[in-house]
Amino acid sequence: MTHAAYQSHTESAFEARLIRRFQEGDPDAVTVLFDLHAERVFAYALHITGSREDAEEIVLEAFAKAFEKAAGFRGDSPFRGWLFGITRNLCLDRLRQPRLPALEMEGLDWQLSDNGTMAAQIETQTVVRQAVALLPDDQRLVVLLCDVEQWDAREAAEMLDKSLMATKSLLYRARRTLRTHLAALWNDSEEEGETDHAL
Amino acid sequence: MRCDEIHELIGLFVDGGLPEETMHRLERHLLRCPACSYEVRTMEQTRALVQKAIPVSQLSPAYREKAAARLLDRLAPHLRREPEPASARQWLLPLE
Repeated sequence: MTHAAYQSHTESAFEARLIRRFQEGDPDAVTVLFDLHAERVFAYALHITGSREDAEEIVLEAFAKAFEKAAGFRGDSPFRGWLFGITRNLCLDRLRQPRLPALEMEGLDWQLSDNGTMAAQIETQTVVRQAVALLPDDQRLVVLLCDVEQWDAREAAEMLDKSLMATKSLLYRARRTLRTHLAALWNDSEEEGETDHAL
Repeated sequence: MRCDEIHELIGLFVDGGLPEETMHRLERHLLRCPACSYEVRTMEQTRALVQKAIPVSQLSPAYREKAAARLLDRLAPHLRREPEPASARQWLLPLE
């Protein structure tokens, strides 16, 4: 058994014990499972919806539905699979609702020393965000989960409901596309800068 | 190793998911091949730029606490009631 497979098996066994404790009515099992998965569910929902408020609501709703499903289930329930599946569906439902445009500058890192450095860093952050926004949905999501949130490909595959190989391949394609977008956007901004200086 | 074989493995190389022997063969190729070396370097730079530009999401401790409490409320029909704290009265010793 590989290390990753062993880790996955151990996590599943731990989770199965917690679900049995929940089915026996133990409230501690609920809080432990919530602590285990809340950040991942939140990160996924945040990157899909682009709204912290929506993502927080989805976290609560997804856990409640997954636990309610597990409560009436006999045998070992695939809790994490349910939780992630419910999260995906709730996010899709949320995207179908009319919404206000998200603030693009939200979350930029402003902790910088001098004005020149600050301007350069804000420009870089803006260009990178534009390039990420240009990616197709599935590529954008895998980049955000693996490169921003630092999930390993196995975790991302589980959340995206794809095979491990398909996820790794998608991530590679996404980075290549992103590199192309970044190069194009930087060329544009350099040309604009040159035009400004010429005026 | 040929360049087209290398390109299939670059994603795994950048994320550290290659078996040791394959990684050494790929590294030897990179020393001789500027095109593949460029591919690896720009992949790593792209990943680093994204990590730097977009903050990791994080739930606030206040939200976690509130959400866990609301979850327990909603699941109350499925959960055991916590035993009521023992009344101080029952621990009083009778006066002699």
